[in-house]
Amino acid sequence: MSAGYRAVQWNARKLVYDALLIAGAALFIATFMIIGALRNPPADPPAWIGLRIKALGTCAFVMLTIILTIGPLARLDARFLPLLYNRRHFGVLTFLVALAHVYSVIDWFAAVGAVGDLITEFTDNPKYGQFIGFPIKALGLFGLSIMFLLAATSHDFWLAFLSPRAWKALHMALYLAYGVLVMHVALGVMQEDRRVFIPVLLGGSFGLVTLLHAVAAWREWQGDRGVPLRPGNWIMVGPPNSIPNRRARIVTAPDGERIAVFRDGLRIGALTNVCAHQNGPLGEGRIVNGCVTCPWHGYEYRLEDGCAPPPFTEKLATHRVRLRNGVIEVDPEALPPGTKAAIRVPRYPFTRE
Amino acid sequence: MMRGHRAFHRMLWPALALIVALGFTMALVLRPLPERPETPAPAMQPG
Repeated sequence: MSAGYRAVQWNARKLVYDALLIAGAALFIATFMIIGALRNPPADPPAWIGLRIKALGTCAFVMLTIILTIGPLARLDARFLPLLYNRRHFGVLTFLVALAHVYSVIDWFAAVGAVGDLITEFTDNPKYGQFIGFPIKALGLFGLSIMFLLAATSHDFWLAFLSPRAWKALHMALYLAYGVLVMHVALGVMQEDRRVFIPVLLGGSFGLVTLLHAVAAWREWQGDRGVPLRPGNWIMVGPPNSIPNRRARIVTAPDGERIAVFRDGLRIGALTNVCAHQNGPLGEGRIVNGCVTCPWHGYEYRLEDGCAPPPFTEKLATHRVRLRNGVIEVDPEALPPGTKAAIRVPRYPFTRE
Repeated sequence: MMRGHRAFHRMLWPALALIVALGFTMALVLRPLPERPETPAPAMQPG
């Protein structure tokens, strides 16, 4: 939550997350290099640089694969939500590891005195028209450029400057970067090294990311279907006790937007399901200390009017709620952000703590 | 995510996954065969 622009808002949780990230990446690279050096001892400095290139490249690819599994995993199982909390730092570190991989490639060409060949590979290469043999360094550089753009715009300043909607759309380019980098490996090391584990790991990583996205999308799609509408187009949610206490049920309006209907004891209120910060799924969050709390980054909103508690200024659209024949209904028409709309329901027989 | 993002995401990801899966399969199938070590020429039979 932000009351204004601040360079970095650190807290203990972020520091622990970042420390674990850095330690994990360093451990991966060190282990890769030690095992690589023991199995096939490098004969000269360029061979050592070659090993470093492989270690950093593999680490960056593994990190990117993990980043892309966090989103669907968090949707499928709330236990993965803590990984989402600081995913942008994960992305920035992945970019830095990929950058070190590129630096090592340049270092290798410098070590063998062939920097000119590296430039020629980009500028005067007849293999751009081929599939097998396509210049993989161009693919890698394209992927790195996308990662740079995303890392450079990852701060909340850019989120506010571009608007969450544009920022989110821009950051979907990570999928493109991943696809390009899968082909960077498939047309690169997979062609040179015919050991079976390379296509198995590469295809397995890509398959895992695809499968998780497909399963999460299927579940989301199921949730978007079959909203029973009442006369006057109010959406039927269910009896008050069908909404878990201090949690929400998410319903979908006829226009496709989702509404999170929360219950806090006897109070019931409906807010847009889209957090003002990064468009996170608010309805998958909880009510903590009387405030609806986004599961992604902990942004808080009051249930009654969708306003962030002072000194914060974010406001969410609310929806009118009513209790009719023992059933909670919600008006799909959104009210202006910050409008009071929550109601209080009778204790018996409608609620059960 | 808002409805527009979800719709975009649902179109983008399968299309991209299909293209990459095709590219990966082609890269696997079209891999050049490993170079075979040269076999020594058969020794001339005496006589």
